[in-house]
Amino acid sequence: MKVYLDNSATTRPDDQVIQTMSLSMSNHYFNPSALYPPAVEVDQMMAECRRNIQRILNSPGQVIFTSSGTEADNLAILGTVKNNHQHGRILHSAGEHAAVLESCKYLSESGYDVESIPLKRDGQIDMIKYEKLLTENTQLISIMQINNETGAVSPISQISKLRDAICPDAHLHVDGVQGFLRHDCNAFDLGIDSYALSAHKFHGPKGIGALWISDRVTMSALIRGGGQENGIRSGTQNTSGIAGMNRAIEIYPRINNMRNMKLRLYRHLLIKIPELIINGSDPEAITSADHILNISLPPVRSETMLNALAAVNVYVGNGSACSSKKRQSSHVLKAMKTNQNIIDSAIRLSLNPNITEMQIDYAVECIADIYKKFKPFVRR
Amino acid sequence: MQELLMVRYGEIYLKGLNRPYFQNLLLARIKSALNNLTSKVTLHDSRIYIRDMKDSAACLHAVQRVFGVHSICPAIEMDKEDFAAVCEQAFQLMSGLSGGFKVFARRADKRYELDSPQICAAIGEYVLKRNKDLHVDVKNPEHKLNIEIRDKAYLYINVFAGPGGMPIGSNGKATLLLSGGIDSPVAGYMIAKRGVALSAVHFYSFPYTGERAKQKVLKLAQLLAAYCGELRLFLVPFTEIQMSIHEKCPADYTTLIMRRFMMKIAEIIAKDEKSQALITGESIGQVASQTMRSLACTDAVVTLPVFRPVIGFDKIDIISYAKNIGTFATSSLPYEDCCTVFTPKHPQTQPKIEAVEEAELFIDNIEDLINQAVQNSELIQL
Repeated sequence: MKVYLDNSATTRPDDQVIQTMSLSMSNHYFNPSALYPPAVEVDQMMAECRRNIQRILNSPGQVIFTSSGTEADNLAILGTVKNNHQHGRILHSAGEHAAVLESCKYLSESGYDVESIPLKRDGQIDMIKYEKLLTENTQLISIMQINNETGAVSPISQISKLRDAICPDAHLHVDGVQGFLRHDCNAFDLGIDSYALSAHKFHGPKGIGALWISDRVTMSALIRGGGQENGIRSGTQNTSGIAGMNRAIEIYPRINNMRNMKLRLYRHLLIKIPELIINGSDPEAITSADHILNISLPPVRSETMLNALAAVNVYVGNGSACSSKKRQSSHVLKAMKTNQNIIDSAIRLSLNPNITEMQIDYAVECIADIYKKFKPFVRR
Repeated sequence: MQELLMVRYGEIYLKGLNRPYFQNLLLARIKSALNNLTSKVTLHDSRIYIRDMKDSAACLHAVQRVFGVHSICPAIEMDKEDFAAVCEQAFQLMSGLSGGFKVFARRADKRYELDSPQICAAIGEYVLKRNKDLHVDVKNPEHKLNIEIRDKAYLYINVFAGPGGMPIGSNGKATLLLSGGIDSPVAGYMIAKRGVALSAVHFYSFPYTGERAKQKVLKLAQLLAAYCGELRLFLVPFTEIQMSIHEKCPADYTTLIMRRFMMKIAEIIAKDEKSQALITGESIGQVASQTMRSLACTDAVVTLPVFRPVIGFDKIDIISYAKNIGTFATSSLPYEDCCTVFTPKHPQTQPKIEAVEEAELFIDNIEDLINQAVQNSELIQL
């Protein structure tokens, strides 16, 4: 049996997505900016994808296609700040993805006032600290909807309300790469100004993402050229990628069994391994995402567990896939003041809507067996 | 007229009656390195000539990695009797250049009409008259125009250094303990450079080390193979041995006992491979298992000589060497290797051989474990 539990790193593109993309490449390859009818059809397909994203976010506004979630985050942060011509404060949570952290670091090095909002031990944003850091001149706040390592669900509504009270003009950017389709997000009602998403996280293709922006936002381009995407993101659009993303959005089963499967995974693991450590909120709580469970099984190091699981066809993550080639501790777990031995043994199990009970049970058996076998071998 | 690569060899010149053996071995190594790039490689008049190249840059790059090569010159070969044409070709070679230049002539054919100073003067004058951007600078020239008169005339400006050393195979074979770190590839390179053919042994500890650690070692072996030609890499499963040591032996001796196991296994493979020595990347005092007493304890379990070419190097010097030979970036990838998996907090640094042997007695099936590891090793031919 093969069990893929690294869906927060990437997902398998759905067969329908692959077919749609293949058809798009062979038959609908036209440049959407051209004037003849087949090109207009491609343009219409893109418009449909934009509408679908607006529908999921339950909000009007603009959808800008990008090459990835990382590009969407960069565009939201750098494009907004560049457009503001002022040096107001920039806030981000300490647990943000590198796409946000590195963009903010770049701004900090360019002289901007950038502050990081600490996390609590359960991975949630420290709202008291957040309130203290909010100033009247804050120009941008960047928060992820769901943390990619711990699955912590951010209180966007509270964050937005405080923003409205203290600095109503501040741009609220939400990195929705782990949240889009998997958790509801009514961008309009929540007062979100921009929202980043990436297709390969919900069974779409790699190389395509999008940034939704509200009607009140004006933004500067980071990539200039032919003026596509209302001049905000030039370059001929990745039409087959957009077609694939559109199909992935249409067929994603929004009512699914992921939460139950995650809780099954958690509860069964807890029975087999009572000393199991959860990194993040209580998996039963609503502040824990439906599809991510981050656990530590010290003294078995994550690399050991991951290798041993791979040998029995169970694939899990050791934190964020983007940084797993570097030997460095998770910045998210560090921000949660997690002990180093717990960080060293952290593994992330992330689900998709198609995961079965049998697969979950197999993964639990394997994890428990490996833990039992390697637990005695600790550095003396 | 023909473009070619003219290859010079270094230490082989010092050989006496057996020089042809070394020359022919070097010729074979160059042919092997050039593989599909050209088949026309000849030895003549103390030079090796590479002709009919599909891609001269690729040929140059390949020959720059052949041990025994002193230098390589991309040259133009032409009829030496038509001296006017030689002068004109010299001018063409220097066209577009500016600054000081000097002509160097070497007249291997002593019957040639002009002697070396006359050749220099005539060609220098010809070039100087036609290229107004050049001037003669005999003390510190920016450009060195070389003319060699052999059975033909050879003209060249650029001289690219080869790696030096001796052709692989001219000094037997040895087996390298290749860890995946920075030191062992350097050690392997240094011994291979002296003409020693290599095989390599790598110990892995699945699941403590994984697929990426294995790929890293394969990459390092490939990098070494680019210099030393064929390389047989043995991947030895080591987890069970490490777990036995960890379970049964006193903690402070575990690293040393592990090293002794590695040496024993490497020697069995080395003897099978007809190797005459083992090579390790150890350097005195770098870690606990590399103090002189520790090294004596590991040497005690083998009969083959153990070569440690970086024994007196500081880490920074080894890093610098690794950067030069192109292995540093791969060695620095962060995947765990088996040596670091069970490192005790306080390893013995001044072990006594009797105490190590006593500590080893806690494992009652040493021979079985060793034989099993050897039997289960995987051979990868690079």
